[in-house]
Amino acid sequence: MLFHTWAFVLFFLIVYPIYLALKRTRFSLLWLLAASYFFYACFNPLYLILIAYSTILDYTVVAVMEKRARRKIWLSISIVNNLALLGFFKYAGFITDNLNILLSSLNVPYVVPAPGLLLPVGLSFYIFQSMSYTIDYYRGNIERERSLIRYATFVSLFPRLLAGPIERAGNLLPQLRKTPAVSIQDVSDGLSLFIVGLFKKVALADYLALYVDKVYSTPDQYQSPALLLATFMFCWQIYFDFSGYTDMARGVARMMGFRLMLNFNNPYLATSLGDFWSRWHISLSSWFKDYVYIPLGGNRKGTFNTYRNMFLTMVISGLWHGAAWTFIIWGAVHALGRFLTREAERTSFYKERVPRILKQIFVFAFVTFAWIFFRADSISDAWIIITRIFTSGFADPRCPLLALALIFTVWLYQFAYESRLKWVLELWAVRIGVIILMILYLAVFAPSSRQPFIYLQF
Amino acid sequence: MKTEDITGIRDGSCSSSNDQVPFSSNCVRLSPSEWLIVAIIFSAVFCLSPAFWERAEKFEPEPDYRLPYDLSSDYWLYKRYCRWACSRYETLVVGDSVVWGHFVPMDNTLSHYLNDLAGRARFANLGADGTHPAALEGLLRYYGRDISNKNVILHLNPLWMTSPKHDLQTEKEHHFNHPELVPQFTPQIPCYKASFSTRISAIVKRRVPFFNWASHLNITYFQSMDVPAWTLEHPYENPISSITFRLSTSDNYERPRDTARPGRAVGRTALQWVELETSLQWLFFRRSVELLRKRNNRVFVLVGPFNEHMFDADSIDTYRKMQTEIEAWLQLNNVPYYMPVVLPRHLYVDTSHLLSQGYAVLAKQLFENESFRSSILYSNHNSGNRR
Repeated sequence: MLFHTWAFVLFFLIVYPIYLALKRTRFSLLWLLAASYFFYACFNPLYLILIAYSTILDYTVVAVMEKRARRKIWLSISIVNNLALLGFFKYAGFITDNLNILLSSLNVPYVVPAPGLLLPVGLSFYIFQSMSYTIDYYRGNIERERSLIRYATFVSLFPRLLAGPIERAGNLLPQLRKTPAVSIQDVSDGLSLFIVGLFKKVALADYLALYVDKVYSTPDQYQSPALLLATFMFCWQIYFDFSGYTDMARGVARMMGFRLMLNFNNPYLATSLGDFWSRWHISLSSWFKDYVYIPLGGNRKGTFNTYRNMFLTMVISGLWHGAAWTFIIWGAVHALGRFLTREAERTSFYKERVPRILKQIFVFAFVTFAWIFFRADSISDAWIIITRIFTSGFADPRCPLLALALIFTVWLYQFAYESRLKWVLELWAVRIGVIILMILYLAVFAPSSRQPFIYLQF
Repeated sequence: MKTEDITGIRDGSCSSSNDQVPFSSNCVRLSPSEWLIVAIIFSAVFCLSPAFWERAEKFEPEPDYRLPYDLSSDYWLYKRYCRWACSRYETLVVGDSVVWGHFVPMDNTLSHYLNDLAGRARFANLGADGTHPAALEGLLRYYGRDISNKNVILHLNPLWMTSPKHDLQTEKEHHFNHPELVPQFTPQIPCYKASFSTRISAIVKRRVPFFNWASHLNITYFQSMDVPAWTLEHPYENPISSITFRLSTSDNYERPRDTARPGRAVGRTALQWVELETSLQWLFFRRSVELLRKRNNRVFVLVGPFNEHMFDADSIDTYRKMQTEIEAWLQLNNVPYYMPVVLPRHLYVDTSHLLSQGYAVLAKQLFENESFRSSILYSNHNSGNRR
């Protein structure tokens, strides 16, 4: 049941009024939890076992931590358990594949059987959210949540269950503790977010996917222009797809009175790679900063250690996205980019003399290049794409001009939003016009097939 | 990744937000009163677009018109054609590709020959390709509401009961024509395995004319594709320029090759007839009859003619028994009908489709049939609507 389907609309139309009716009663959390579990069970009822297990274990660990000494051991139990779940369901196939390649290269006549497990939807997201609770409690940043129902709702809250944002206990649990006030402004804000997200996903991401999928499925059959354009379009596709999902998630939550964190902030207008990561998938970036980069030492122990920590964090982040070498390389490429640009970005020449637009173009070009590894089906495919971009000749790319025009329009909008022209976008007539155009486009011209969200696979 | 360069999340809020959590990274944020304006504007567009479109888009069908083959799934156009046909013709011929005339040009169909014999344009071809009884029932229920107080010749093609697969009864999923028209939940169709969302989407579409109209745009002007898919095929064309406001009113249908091989209908094939009692297609056919009669139409049922030359003796025996049961139901419900005897082999293309000459013979047989003459030809059921 994805946000951009009629099934979700029906689900929400049933859940929402009852939620509003129960809001001031003790049953509201129970209803929210039941709705969230039902929402999750629609993908596969067996997933419930996993989420319930993870929830109960972390809840119990923190309860034990409160009463006993040796808190570190209990924290380790929670972390090991969560990482084991992630490793087993997400990385078992990857590990056995690589083991088999290794055994085969060593002429060992044994094949490790493939586990054949299905990756539960949203696993990486709720595991990280649950882990942040135990770590934050251990660090003394938050208080223990005494209600299991509330904690389970925190882990499974349906608007953010599938692909985040990865909320911190410090932000969401307090909202669940008090009865959230749902004002008419919340409803209209939620609707605004939802419609923008829906447009990003259905009208833009799913449209761009048509061309990207075609080219990336057989990259050896395309010449440089098509490969370049497909890569450029994927860059926007993944942004529209994921930020569209996030907007819809935040919109639904907003209608219910919850404020989920901002996850994307016009990332393709970033002026440095550091800036890019402060605008892209913010909830995950800050998670890795707080729970991986800083514990590793951050930038406190000299240049070498800073770069090492940065590299490790980036590579782990790449691996978090998917169990494949392409994701690891994607993380490593970003780490390399940070090494190369970090010092330059600190110079006064770069800060003051290089025009902003040039910085943005550079960052965009680098990020786009890195996406090749993210999107390609294999390392060899990524290599084919990169070499063909630089070596193959010209051929008509047959790339839809309408898609490019839509991308340009969005870019122009974002550019104006971060410029002195922002006031134009704030005019009521412009805002109303934009919403009407979006809804009309969705109703009349949107693709008929509904693609799943890219980040659902992570 | 947030590294040491990151000092905090930028404030992406738009104007009036006082919240701690930034609203969004853009300015598209409406107040409740602005949403009200959007709702009013959009409701107006939503309700009026299809009606205005009908005025702007020319639709002047030629004699013997039938819904173009490429537009078989354009239910909005079918509805419009129904309205048009009801205002001009006394009798509507409704059915699947046999009525539509899959192997013949539009001026060689059953309705054409009926008009020939009547001496004037009394019969309209409302056949739609691929509309098995389950789909036809949906087509009439949701898009054929204008068919009321008319004479209707409803064709029953026994082909749809010749196997559990044709009867949509297999547990294994198989794709059939016009899934959007069949009941999405009850009665359950075993071979229809669409997702819950697809089913809801089909229900919404058939209930909301705006979505049908949007679908009409895609089918008619974008070669049955949505605009994004169409731009993939025509990357440098402007989609807006494709909307010409002109509907195809003539027949540019390229007939299948079988037309050149009329003698193919030979053989001894065994059929796995389904039981009439449990047949889904028969159930939907009966529902169509009841629906049409409820709308005050005079329904005449035409069963077959089925190409019995192709099948073995057992299959023909079963068919005979089935015919008897069908006949019993029609008689019990006072539905006039005609079951033509099997036509000569050379008049068939396949199990049920006829060649031009076959349609001419069938039309003649109908005109000679007493039941047809009394219930359709000489009925004064809708004399007020006569041209």
